[in-house]
Amino acid sequence: MTSTQDTDRMIHALARQAGVPQSAPSYGAALAAGIVLSLVSAVALVLLLFDVRQAGLEATLANAAFHYKVASMLTLAAGGVLLARFAGRPGSSALAFIALLPGVAILLVGAATDVSGLSILGVSKVSVPSCVAAIVTLSLPGLASILAAMRRGVPTRPALGGAVAGMLAGAIGGAGYAIVCKNDGALFVALWYTVAMAIVTGMGALIGRKTLAW
Amino acid sequence: MNAREHIWAEAMRAERRGDAAAYEQLLGDIAAALRIVIRSRLSRSGAATHDAEDIVQEVLIGLHMMRRRWDQDRPFMPWLHAIVRYKLVDAARQRQGEARFRGELSFEEWCNVAEQPSAGIDGHRLDVNSALSGLPSGQRDVVRSLAIDGASVRETAQKLETTEGTVRMTFHRALQRLAAAADLEASNTKSAKP
Repeated sequence: MTSTQDTDRMIHALARQAGVPQSAPSYGAALAAGIVLSLVSAVALVLLLFDVRQAGLEATLANAAFHYKVASMLTLAAGGVLLARFAGRPGSSALAFIALLPGVAILLVGAATDVSGLSILGVSKVSVPSCVAAIVTLSLPGLASILAAMRRGVPTRPALGGAVAGMLAGAIGGAGYAIVCKNDGALFVALWYTVAMAIVTGMGALIGRKTLAW
Repeated sequence: MNAREHIWAEAMRAERRGDAAAYEQLLGDIAAALRIVIRSRLSRSGAATHDAEDIVQEVLIGLHMMRRRWDQDRPFMPWLHAIVRYKLVDAARQRQGEARFRGELSFEEWCNVAEQPSAGIDGHRLDVNSALSGLPSGQRDVVRSLAIDGASVRETAQKLETTEGTVRMTFHRALQRLAAAADLEASNTKSAKP
């Protein structure tokens, strides 16, 4: 059984470490580095795993659907950045969740005004599984680097922090996948990109529960 | 609350300048506040309060580890509150896990205990029946009536159409016989398991 005197002795020992310098990057800097790394790794993996030249970069850039995908994913990612700041800083406002709304709005408006007539299941039978699997794969290095950055913060809700990291990594992975994605139906994007992000979010929550605990 | 915010935030800044006394004062103040909250929480939830001091220390160590990650430009109390809350949830979950471990009875474990003969209630009943079967029928009827059915000597005598004295004597002989059989069985199991 531990007594209050034990605690007093412990406090005295801890106090002797006052002023000892701790050199560590700030949470903001670590998070920024983690996000840049996840963007770079997603794009690098796309170039590595897919034949980008086949589609043609100019044709891709001229495609409105490409811009819809990238805009919705990067807007979601921007909201995810604010959420990640919230998740690693105790006492910040949970209002940060509002930051996800713009990205969700773009996805929903795009899906509601979809007049392309393209199937929600994509152009081929393997569209759905290959798209979801590709986005999840592209997101995994980003998930690792964002989780590592979060450990430099003070996550007081490990599972939630991990989920936020997963959602952010998933959105970045989705933006990277847009470069090679051949399914231009907005309904397809709104549904299956979201499913892929949800999978990475769930993985992040499971991993974060362990790795973000301290 | 505002005064406390100011004092504690100032002590957190003093720690960075190497002011050990101010930091010790801060940790002591926080420990005292935590102690009150945690003890009342534990006693209200019916848990043992002797864990309280351990939980206080867990929170203080967590705070100490993370002290430099507090942004000086932001309020200290909400930051501290989130850390305390996290550490309390963590402590509760850990102790819940321990309680579950103490209470958890796996099926294999239960079978190991339950399947050993003579360990459970059913085992005893079996033993009684097998011991009684070793008696002559007259003695068996008397023992069953007196010891198992719980009848009186007079009732037993009336039921078996004999005298109370005979019932007593038969019961006495039956007990001797059972005791001898039990001794024999005990020495057998002893020699079987040296």
